[in-house]
Amino acid sequence: MTQIDQQQQRTRMPVQTGFTLKALLLSSGAAFALLGPGMASATLGEPEASVQSDVQELRGSIKEADHGSYRVHEIQLPSGTVVREYSGVDGIVFAVTWQGPFMPNLRQMLGRYFDPYAAAAKADHADHHHLQVQQSDLVVQVSGHMRAFTGRAYLPHAIPGGVSMENLQ
Amino acid sequence: VRSAAARLLRTGCGMLISLATLSCGGGNTVAGSSGGSPVTPASNVVSVVINGGPTGLTSPAINTLYTTVTVCVPGTTTCQSIDHIQVDTGSYGLRLLASQVTLSLPVNTSTSGASLVECTTFVDGYSWGPVSRVDVQISGESAHSVPVQLIGDNRFPASTVPVDCSSSGPTIEDTVAQFGANGILGVGPFVQDCGSACVNTAQPATYYSCTQAVCSATTVPLTSQVLNPVTLFPTDNNGTIIELPSVSASGAASVTGSLIFGIDTQSNNQSGSQTVLALNQGVYITTVFNGQTLSASFIDSGSNGTFFTDSNIALCPSPNSSFYCPASPQTLSATLQGMNGTSVAESFSVTSLAGVASTVTALPGLAGSNPTAGSFDWGLPFFYNRRVATAIEGYTTSAGTGPYVAF
Repeated sequence: MTQIDQQQQRTRMPVQTGFTLKALLLSSGAAFALLGPGMASATLGEPEASVQSDVQELRGSIKEADHGSYRVHEIQLPSGTVVREYSGVDGIVFAVTWQGPFMPNLRQMLGRYFDPYAAAAKADHADHHHLQVQQSDLVVQVSGHMRAFTGRAYLPHAIPGGVSMENLQ
Repeated sequence: VRSAAARLLRTGCGMLISLATLSCGGGNTVAGSSGGSPVTPASNVVSVVINGGPTGLTSPAINTLYTTVTVCVPGTTTCQSIDHIQVDTGSYGLRLLASQVTLSLPVNTSTSGASLVECTTFVDGYSWGPVSRVDVQISGESAHSVPVQLIGDNRFPASTVPVDCSSSGPTIEDTVAQFGANGILGVGPFVQDCGSACVNTAQPATYYSCTQAVCSATTVPLTSQVLNPVTLFPTDNNGTIIELPSVSASGAASVTGSLIFGIDTQSNNQSGSQTVLALNQGVYITTVFNGQTLSASFIDSGSNGTFFTDSNIALCPSPNSSFYCPASPQTLSATLQGMNGTSVAESFSVTSLAGVASTVTALPGLAGSNPTAGSFDWGLPFFYNRRVATAIEGYTTSAGTGPYVAF
């Protein structure tokens, strides 16, 4: 809770307030363990402990919540964007989500899935505010407008039983 | 046939502009105002058109709103008009495809004295190019020395795009074909495209200070950021109104309407009894649909359909599998809620893309699945047959203080 308060005091981007509030609500429903800035975060399809670079690279603060069949690593980026990475009991990251005023570094978050995502995305060109890549092994869904983006990417075959799409926000 | 129709429209538009520096009126297939008295030409009104888009698109645009903007070398009468600039309430600031700019425009300097270059991230890609200043003339309004982005400027080719920028999205959008327009006029409810977040912190994939081919992220003062040019008009600067006529369910080959500057500043932009939905700090509203409360909803002229999630409606076959193709037209309803506690029920239509005439560029029932949970995107179909006002953050009208959307 202390850390969340500090985040609110640091808030300069108006958009961040809403997301911090969401984090506050989430923390009341799940026991978050505060992790140090050097702790691992992970990339889609990779072991959660395999990538030491996300938090340092993104200069974010991280919290972790254990929901039993999956864990959520929540990274608060300095830009105000919140990134969440979901890993199963096998430790593999099966989903990543983001919400906030700036797009996160998708190359980092999607890892080896970034290039397939980029290739598929070129074919789907509805407008500047939506993007959906739906493949058997990869789903990427992004929408929003300037200064307010929302998105998620997941590996359909790797989602643990009992986890619904509504859990991935 | 579709691209030929678009080319014909643009030719007529170009003639008008060269004769009288008027804005493009389009083909008048469907034109007029949505109820009430028609908008008559005035110093604060510019025509907007929905058609197949500029030359060079690989497929015609649909439900894409364009206008014509005149830009000038600051302080001079050296000007040019550029048609097919998309009108977007989901972004902030004027961006021009450099390939369409004939003016000689110096690049603005960053705080360190190098060139100021921007990475603009959209959902479907990123656009890279320097920031310059132009005088903007649109209808009778003019704004002096407006920071704008020149996308795809060969002074900063794609080879200079920083990795942070190219990691923000799937593809670069630096040509008319990639971008879908000759430029974009962001008249959404924020003033700047970044705001205070960029003043003290160099944000990744945003603004860069470039010395030749070496670019590093930089902070940018508010007044140097690319910003909504409406806020720099001497008057009529608190927001905009988009007014479009009704369009039949079967669609139209082209539609013309009006973009009106200012809210409650002239006789033609009065709020009257409009419903005002205040926006939160993410410029979101809430939509209640099918029992779901979707708190990241927005009204956006730059989205070409109504985007929501309803698993009971069939999706179209590939390659349009993001859009709905119901067996028969659907009429659905939802409730929009503003942050001011105001709520209003809306009905909207969903028609199948299958069977739509190939000449159609305006289709009120175009709808698709929303990629993200918790969001309902009221795109351009929402704007048909009504006046939608967008009040800018911190600016006051007779109906309240922005950011809000009213209709």
